[in-house]
Amino acid sequence: MAVEVKVFQFNGCNKCFTESILLKLDSEDKVTYIENPKGWKEEKTDIAVITGYLLPEDGKILESITKNSKKVIGYGDCVTMGGIFALANQNGHKITPLKEFIDNASSINGCLGEIMELNQEIKGKSPVKLKGLCTVCKRKSTCDYMEAVHRQIEFEESDVCFNDLGYQCNGFVAQECKERCIDYDAPCRGCKPMVARSGIRMLGMFGTLMGNIEVATEHSVKGATDKLADEDDDITRSVPDVLGNFFRFTLPTSGLPQGRIPSTGSVLEDVFTGRLIEELPLIAGLLAGNKSISLVLNILEAYETGTKMEVGSCTKKIRKHLRKLEGDLGKATESQDAQQYKEITEKIRKIAGNMNLSNLFFGGFRSKITEYDNFDEYKAHPFDVVEGSYAHGCVEYKIDSDGKVTDFKIKEEAL
Amino acid sequence: MTSSEVGDFCDPMDAEIKAKIKNLVVFMCNECGQGAANTAGVARMGYDAAIRIVRVQCSGQVGPIQIMDALNNGADAVGVVGCCLGACHFFNGNILSMHRIKLMKKLFKELGYSDQFVNQWTARAAEGETSVGDFEDMVDRLAVAIKNKGTIKDGC
Ligand code: SF4
Ligand code: SF4
Ligand code: SF4
Repeated sequence: MAVEVKVFQFNGCNKCFTESILLKLDSEDKVTYIENPKGWKEEKTDIAVITGYLLPEDGKILESITKNSKKVIGYGDCVTMGGIFALANQNGHKITPLKEFIDNASSINGCLGEIMELNQEIKGKSPVKLKGLCTVCKRKSTCDYMEAVHRQIEFEESDVCFNDLGYQCNGFVAQECKERCIDYDAPCRGCKPMVARSGIRMLGMFGTLMGNIEVATEHSVKGATDKLADEDDDITRSVPDVLGNFFRFTLPTSGLPQGRIPSTGSVLEDVFTGRLIEELPLIAGLLAGNKSISLVLNILEAYETGTKMEVGSCTKKIRKHLRKLEGDLGKATESQDAQQYKEITEKIRKIAGNMNLSNLFFGGFRSKITEYDNFDEYKAHPFDVVEGSYAHGCVEYKIDSDGKVTDFKIKEEAL
Repeated sequence: MTSSEVGDFCDPMDAEIKAKIKNLVVFMCNECGQGAANTAGVARMGYDAAIRIVRVQCSGQVGPIQIMDALNNGADAVGVVGCCLGACHFFNGNILSMHRIKLMKKLFKELGYSDQFVNQWTARAAEGETSVGDFEDMVDRLAVAIKNKGTIKDGC
């Protein structure tokens, strides 16, 4: 039976919103898109789909949407758990998950949310039971203690779990997903959690796996025994950004207190500040809607130029092609052409791995794109952290000697 | 925060701040941790009335989940007391929990709070004063965190 669906875009990234154009494919449902919910004149609908991150001031509109719909579905991590933008809650922003506004909304987790799951929810079918990500990963874990934490690894064919290699992967707490960062030598950051408070659980797990790494202790005068030391040690130096790596999508639902670090600028700028240089492409690839490709490439090219990293002509050629596909995707979205949207995203996926663009990295690509057979010509390599300021196109950022972003400026209108 | 800051401020202890400390949850392992507390009890040593002991089999059972549960359910601070280094009755549980607590401490700093309201100590079962000393250190450190407005709960 055909139903009436209204999709509402709130704040930030519009990737889930545009993805929902696929609801129109092979469907009799009447789908309409509301890009500016503030100006929406109340109308009854069967199903309301909410996308984009939410702020306390969105409460009133959400209330009226709920009143007018038979069912409300939160689509994408931004809505269901705060998502990647909620990293800005570290700096006092108040990005709030949908369930804090309304009680009985259904959730489709994921950054990007999976269209198949949304479709099923709209049709009222019970959700497919998903396995843990590790059970479908080609790598296998031993859960042995690691000798050291590595923030980057050499990209190569291997069946060893990233965590065994000392390279943090949150697959332990994630569900199987469509985007599969792990298939493109990018670690999972847990956008589809399998358990409640996934970040805290993964943090405990990773701390345990760090068992062979030395933790500093000190003499306690009062107890006349040893205690855990306050000073920085190999544990804290190995994980310079606990918040960004373990709570990337779930901060407001993790049970942690509200962050109180002073804000440095806009929500988007706060999301990037404090993050690690090698994580920037993984972050930028997610949150810039239909401009994600240019944002990732600008961040990469800024660092590559600034550190005089060698970038082969093949890499440049593939990147140019990606930028063109981004333009085409924009046009397909504008003309609401679902078929074309689907074809172009398939082309992007072939090169970038997924719509998170997991395959893009500094100096080249993380894994082989079959059509370009000589991988060596465009393969990325681990790079050195070089303290400094970097700029290209719409972005400008500074990193410190740990490779942590201390300042991030973005011209959002130029995105 | 360094131990010297703790020392500077805590002697003499600010009674007003100390009065705010009501619930200090201490996970103590069943071996040296709880053993030291028992010894202290036999010797009738006193300690702060805010200390709430939760007995666990090994300090290695305590991790971020238990710590957050305690803090979100009213604890002002969380301490973990295990066996001395190298003396864990379950091989290395005390060291493993130190790894996790160290990451938790870093996380609190990243969120803009003090890292002095979670920590891990060790104790010796035969010496009650080791656990009583640990409790005192916990209270002192929490007092510093309160004074610096670094705790999660308002005013505590
Ligand atoms: S940031 Fe992720 S969850 Fe949020 S709208 Fe974009 S793709 Fe969807
Ligand atoms: S933790 Fe990551 S790399 Fe390891 S098995 Fe799971 S998904 Fe694969
Ligand atoms: S592999 Fe990537 S898309 Fe899949 S759950 Fe992990 S972060 Fe999300």
